[in-house]
Amino acid sequence: MPELGIVDIREIIRVVKSEYDYDFANYALTSFKQRLERLMALYNISTMEALAGKLKEESAFLDTFLHDITVPSTEMFRDPSLWRWLREEYFPRVMDKFPGKFKIWLPSCASGGELYSLAILLSESGLLDKVQIIASCLSLQSIEEIKSGSYDQKKMEISEENYRRFNGARQLSDYYKTDRTGIIRDTSLISQVEFKKLNINFDNAPQNVRLILFRNSMIYYYPTQQERVLRILYNSLSASGHLVIGIREKLSGMSPGRDFEVANENECVYRKRMFS
Amino acid sequence: MNYKAVIIGGSAGSFQVVTRILNGLPKSFPLPVLLCLHRLKHVRSGFVEALSLKSNIPVEEPYDKDLLRPGKAYLAPANYHMYIELANRIALSTEETVNHSRPSIDLSFITAANAYREKLIGIILSGANKDGAAGLKKVHDNGGIAIVQDPIECEVKTMTQSALQLTRVDFVYTTDQIINYLIKLK
Repeated sequence: MPELGIVDIREIIRVVKSEYDYDFANYALTSFKQRLERLMALYNISTMEALAGKLKEESAFLDTFLHDITVPSTEMFRDPSLWRWLREEYFPRVMDKFPGKFKIWLPSCASGGELYSLAILLSESGLLDKVQIIASCLSLQSIEEIKSGSYDQKKMEISEENYRRFNGARQLSDYYKTDRTGIIRDTSLISQVEFKKLNINFDNAPQNVRLILFRNSMIYYYPTQQERVLRILYNSLSASGHLVIGIREKLSGMSPGRDFEVANENECVYRKRMFS
Repeated sequence: MNYKAVIIGGSAGSFQVVTRILNGLPKSFPLPVLLCLHRLKHVRSGFVEALSLKSNIPVEEPYDKDLLRPGKAYLAPANYHMYIELANRIALSTEETVNHSRPSIDLSFITAANAYREKLIGIILSGANKDGAAGLKKVHDNGGIAIVQDPIECEVKTMTQSALQLTRVDFVYTTDQIINYLIKLK
C-alpha cells in the first residue's frame, strides 16, 4: 500500500479544491490519509503525483474519488438498542396523529446500511407510506449502488445478529437475496426514497425535517467542520425535530440545553430546542 | 520523560494480563495508555467497567477528538477503530475491518507510531490473529520501543509469534517484566 505524507495529503486537498471546489481541509487527517491510501491501492495509483494528475485530467474520476473517500456504514442495524427505541418509543409517540408526511433525512449515505435498516423498521411498523425519506450522498456512484440494492456480503453476519437483537418481525434474509455477485437487497423498500447528490458544504439542505440520522459521519471531520455541519442540521430540523449521532460523537460547538436537549442519552438522540 | 504514550494490543483473551498491568501501574503514571483489544462488535458496554475494577488509573472509552491525558487509559470502543490524530487527540473511525478486526490493532499502532515516532512504547499481548504485527513493526521502524509478551505465558500464541516474526523487537517480557519496565520509565 502506498504511504502518503502530510505534504502529499495537503497537495491532494489543494487540487480537489482548486479543480472542483470540494474542500476537504477540515476533514480529520488520519482517516483522510487512510481513505486516500486505500483509494490509491484500489486503482493501482502509486504516487501522490499520479493521483493529483488523474484528478486534474479525468473529471469523471472525481465521483469515484468522492465515493471511495466516503466511509460506508459498518453493517445494518448497528446499535440494535437504538433501532428498538425508535420502533417502540420514538415513532409511536411522534407519528401518532401526525398530519401529512413525516420527513426524515439521512444526510450522508454511502452504502445504505442506515437507510435500509430504517426502511425495514418502518415497513414492519406499517409506517413506510407515512414518511418522506431523503437520502443524500456525496457521490452519484453511491446513489446508484444503494438503488441497485447491492451490499457487501461480509457485513451480513453482523447485520443478521443485529437484526435478531432488534427483535425484527421477520428474518433479515426476507429482505435480500444472494446471487453470483453477492447480496441484493429488496429495493422496493426504498422505492419512495428521494435521493440527492450532496455537496460537501451541505448546500440545499431540506427544511422542516422531523428526524435526522447522522451517525458516525462527524468522526471524519475536524471540530470546525463538525460545528458548521451541525449548524446546518439544526436549521434543517423542524421545531422539536430529533437528531441522532454516533454513540462516541459529541455535539461540538452546540450549547447543550439551549440548542438541543437530550432525548435518549444512551443512544445519543437529541431534540431541537426552539428559543435559541 | 523520553516517551509520550504507551500502546497495548491484544485480544479479549489478554484481559487478565491487561488487568494486571493496569493494577501494577502507579496512580501517577506519567503517560497516556492506549488499549486496543479485540472485542465483540455488538457488545458495547461492560468491558471498560470490568477493566476499571482493579486499575490504578482511570479507564475510559474515548469520544471522538478527545485529548489524551497522562495517567489515563483509553480503551478502543466496540466496533470503532481508534486512531491517534496529530496534536495528541483520538480520532475514531468506522472504516472497513482489518484482519477481520474493528478495532484493528495495526491501525491503532500505525497511527500512534506516525504521531509519536520514537516517543512511543508498543506492547503486543497474546491473541489469536496476526493483527498487531504490522503495527508493532511500524512502531519499531519509527524508532519507538517494541515489546512482545513472552509466548511462554500465552495460551494462544498467534499474535505474539506473528509480531516476533515480523520485527526484531526490543524486549520479550513476561507480564511482571512489562509492569516493571513501565514503572521504571524515565
